[in-house]
Amino acid sequence: MSERFILAKSKENEITDSGACGGAVSSIFQYLLANELVDGVLTLNKGIDVYDGVPRLLTSAEKVIETCGSLHCAPTMVSDLISDFLTDEKIAVAVKPCDAKAINELVKRHRIDEDKIITVGLNCGGTVRPEVAQEMIEKFYNVDPSRVVKEEIDKGKFIIELDDGEEIAIKIDDLEEEGYGRRDNCQRCELKVPRNADIACGNWGSEPGWTFVEVNSEKGREIIDGAVSEGFIETKAPSEKALEMREKVENIMIKMGNRNTGKQLDDDYSLEEWEAQWNKCIKCFACRDVCPICWCNECELEKPYFSDDPQSPPDPLGFHGVRLSHMSPSCINCGQCDDVCPMEIPVSKLFHKLQKKYESRTGYVAGIGDEKPPLYSPMKEVF
Amino acid sequence: MTEDVKIVGFCCNWCCYGGADTAGTSRMQYPPNIRIIRVMCSGRINPSMIFKAYKEGADGVFVGGCHIGDCHYDAGNYKWNRRALMTKDIIEEFGIDKERFRFEWISASEGEKFQRTMKEFYKTISQLGPRKK
Repeated sequence: MSERFILAKSKENEITDSGACGGAVSSIFQYLLANELVDGVLTLNKGIDVYDGVPRLLTSAEKVIETCGSLHCAPTMVSDLISDFLTDEKIAVAVKPCDAKAINELVKRHRIDEDKIITVGLNCGGTVRPEVAQEMIEKFYNVDPSRVVKEEIDKGKFIIELDDGEEIAIKIDDLEEEGYGRRDNCQRCELKVPRNADIACGNWGSEPGWTFVEVNSEKGREIIDGAVSEGFIETKAPSEKALEMREKVENIMIKMGNRNTGKQLDDDYSLEEWEAQWNKCIKCFACRDVCPICWCNECELEKPYFSDDPQSPPDPLGFHGVRLSHMSPSCINCGQCDDVCPMEIPVSKLFHKLQKKYESRTGYVAGIGDEKPPLYSPMKEVF
Repeated sequence: MTEDVKIVGFCCNWCCYGGADTAGTSRMQYPPNIRIIRVMCSGRINPSMIFKAYKEGADGVFVGGCHIGDCHYDAGNYKWNRRALMTKDIIEEFGIDKERFRFEWISASEGEKFQRTMKEFYKTISQLGPRKK
């Protein structure tokens, strides 16, 4: 079998019932664990409610069933968990496109061993900040946020399912017009199908009860072939129409992403407004600590020659400028720095803007391909 | 008299610093506003050093390296060139005029070019005036 696009479905009824469309992802994880191809599977689990996601390392196939379903209101990155704690183990991990990008950047920096990781990508239309989600559900859906048991983003709508089985859907565009909806970074995102992961799974272009799988690497091919021959999943070819549909959905999403990028980055803050933003900074280092790619053991920002008066905001150029010079060419626009900032400074806007500038000059797209940013190249290139 | 501007100049040991030396020994005058810091190679300079100079109150920062192709360490100035372009992008976002940052390739024999560059840069910076803090 050598098709790039396939439809896959779990052969276990328990999974097809609880998992999202087809449950192929869960079955692939079960196959990997049952055949001891990996030591563990890193997935996101529901915490106390749908607004809480807890990364969890599963080591037995039976537990995979507990992780089914999506969590759009709990944006979490897993790449630094892998590079900090799981480098000795061979693992498979469920990734969003930005997770896959972060893993790719860390592989380039020799923080993650490519041979020890299998990335199972999940198509992603964006995530919502938990506190924004709760506010939004109260305001637009007129329900108590704690009654939501499941949520889904499908066909441009944010759908919630309540404890009594009732479903309410509202168009994301309408929510975003009001300043709610997906995170700014997700609105700007241009990678919806994680083609930088070994396989990319999702429901775009699939039939009910099936998962659409795009195979992106040799490793991905082997996993699919293995899972089929071991009887964990069954596959069939998608129809021409389904392929077209999927492409159409993706193109619309990308176009929207591009438009939002232009809108948010080009006429963002003036220099004075940025100045006001920087003046809010309390130099807590949260943005540095959470950045999935930034990893030096000895940080330049903590050197005595960059120390600031603790009573006043840090010198913008001496703090954020230095961070930008270190990380901006590799910024994957995951938005974690915005999420964690206690002063709500939209740091990622500047990082994304400079990455875009860097990309237009050098052609380097962060998180994709095998090449490091040309900045680190020993070659005699001019840009 | 208005406050005079401060310029920090990073010069690579093998070329630009030699160029400054040549200018000095041949008694070519250039503005005394520039404070030269010798580094072994322009490839050793990173954007943080430039930012630190601005942070400490420099009104202009100059970096001089060997001509492209002449680097004593083979490719150091290529690396600096790439960083310099990025540095320019970043300082602009923080409201520092990109004219306040300049890099040039000057060889050890080009005392005259060093003098000319310094005069030009001094003129640019003094027209822009001291940076508001």
